[in-house]
Amino acid sequence: MILFLVNAIIVLFLAAPILVVMATAFTTTGYPVFPPEGFTLKWFARVFETGEFTDAAQLSALLAICATAIACTLGTLTALGLSRWKGRGQSALSAFVLSPILFPTIVLGLALLVFYSRIGLQGSFLGLVIGHSIITTPFVVRLVMASLSEFDPAVEEAARNLGAGWWRTFFQVTLPLIRPGVLAGGVFAFILSFDELVVTLFLAAPGMSTLPMRIFTFVQYSSEPTISAIATMLIVVWALIGVPLYARFLSIRHK
Amino acid sequence: MTAAPRRERRDWTQVLLVLPNTVWLLLFMVGALFFLFLMSLRGYEPGGRGMLDTWELSNYWAFISDPFYLKILGRSLLMALWVTIGCLILGFPLAYALSRLRGMKRALLYFAVLVPLLTSAVIRTFGWMILLSNKGFVNQTLMSIGLIDSPIPMMYRMTGIIIALIQVLLPFMVLALDAALLNIDRQIYDAARNLGAGRVRIFFRVTLPLALPGIVSGSILVFTLAISAFVTPALVGGPRIPVMATLIYQQGIALLNWPLGAAISLVMLVVLVVILSALMSIASRAMRRAS
Repeated sequence: MILFLVNAIIVLFLAAPILVVMATAFTTTGYPVFPPEGFTLKWFARVFETGEFTDAAQLSALLAICATAIACTLGTLTALGLSRWKGRGQSALSAFVLSPILFPTIVLGLALLVFYSRIGLQGSFLGLVIGHSIITTPFVVRLVMASLSEFDPAVEEAARNLGAGWWRTFFQVTLPLIRPGVLAGGVFAFILSFDELVVTLFLAAPGMSTLPMRIFTFVQYSSEPTISAIATMLIVVWALIGVPLYARFLSIRHK
Repeated sequence: MTAAPRRERRDWTQVLLVLPNTVWLLLFMVGALFFLFLMSLRGYEPGGRGMLDTWELSNYWAFISDPFYLKILGRSLLMALWVTIGCLILGFPLAYALSRLRGMKRALLYFAVLVPLLTSAVIRTFGWMILLSNKGFVNQTLMSIGLIDSPIPMMYRMTGIIIALIQVLLPFMVLALDAALLNIDRQIYDAARNLGAGRVRIFFRVTLPLALPGIVSGSILVFTLAISAFVTPALVGGPRIPVMATLIYQQGIALLNWPLGAAISLVMLVVLVVILSALMSIASRAMRRAS
């Protein structure tokens, strides 16, 4: 009973800033206040009035799609390789490919900026995609590894013994079995890349602005609830896409 | 009979599979880090000629010899320590409940942890800015129920940064602890109870030692993310409370002093590695004693 009460308070603490942002999106005042006063949808309309947020969202989506494609390819291959690794070096290798999770993004941002200035990728879209792929790939590796831990390698062997080639075995046997992991990893990579701010701040060309950069600048220099409206839309969309996928993925793991 | 050639072929497959990602990381993470290291050794003349062609240790000396910078390092370490402790205290009950629940209840509690994780740090910090300001909800509520007479300043203060950062990083701690607690065999609790151990005793002698791997991995993750956090200190603390990450950003982007920014980055990485390896050696000794 005490545990339940304590946890209710902790959950409230976790939810507080999110609920507050969502509530202030509907306030009639010209700045975000909690509790909100009155009810209006004009801040949602304001998001689409000027092109600055929609343009930025498009750039973020394009960037996230490219980074996710690389992350899913590299991550799935790595997870498959690690899971069937024989001999020494597996734990060192997996620590290395997972290390970007712990690598401070502020340092990665500056390091890539210095590096790119030398090799001519400074301020390029490709440079941003590479930076985002470094950050997101380890999460794909982790989630595919998790779905591979349930995977019986004998199935692959059976397919091969029945005469299926390497490609056929991969696409018709292995991939369908690890699809929940790849899908969960891909969605997580997309959301992570779409929301990424720190590395992007270092690598974006002047005038280039992703949605998190716009939001960051807006939070610092403006006090209009427009930002609450756009944040509310992001929270709802991510929750709708991310949570069901995770729930299915986790139910597979913890049955 | 056919085992030997097949194993050999598989050895090559496994190398080929991990090769693209490894090369990618060697090039763009390790390679970039190497160039950052070279940059930290370059001379720099503020205002005048900018970056020089000389190789020197002056940037490291500039950091180590200046109390202003050392204070920022100390502040960041203290911030990361408090955030890690806060996440452990708040994360443990939540993860404990999560690991014991099944079915719909577990899914609901998981939802409460996942939604914040899927919401960007900028948006959540923005929520805290609304809540923590002098005229914000927290201060207004505390004043209206008579707990305080005047608002407690939390914006542009360390208190505010720590509160917001605990919330931002708590989901990572909960997921790490949950993974460790799920691995505990329930029969151990039954056995302990049958042997006459009380609840408190079971918690300290059984649950806590067995959760140690999760406590360590969660703390490492949260401490690392906290000491290098940029968004929350930049928005809640502002320029008045510089931390390592905002300092690196200021040197690298605003002042374009890449050599000093690079040196500060490497100092932070070294400090981080030293602290984490100390923590891990203590933890592995504790785990050995527990088993």
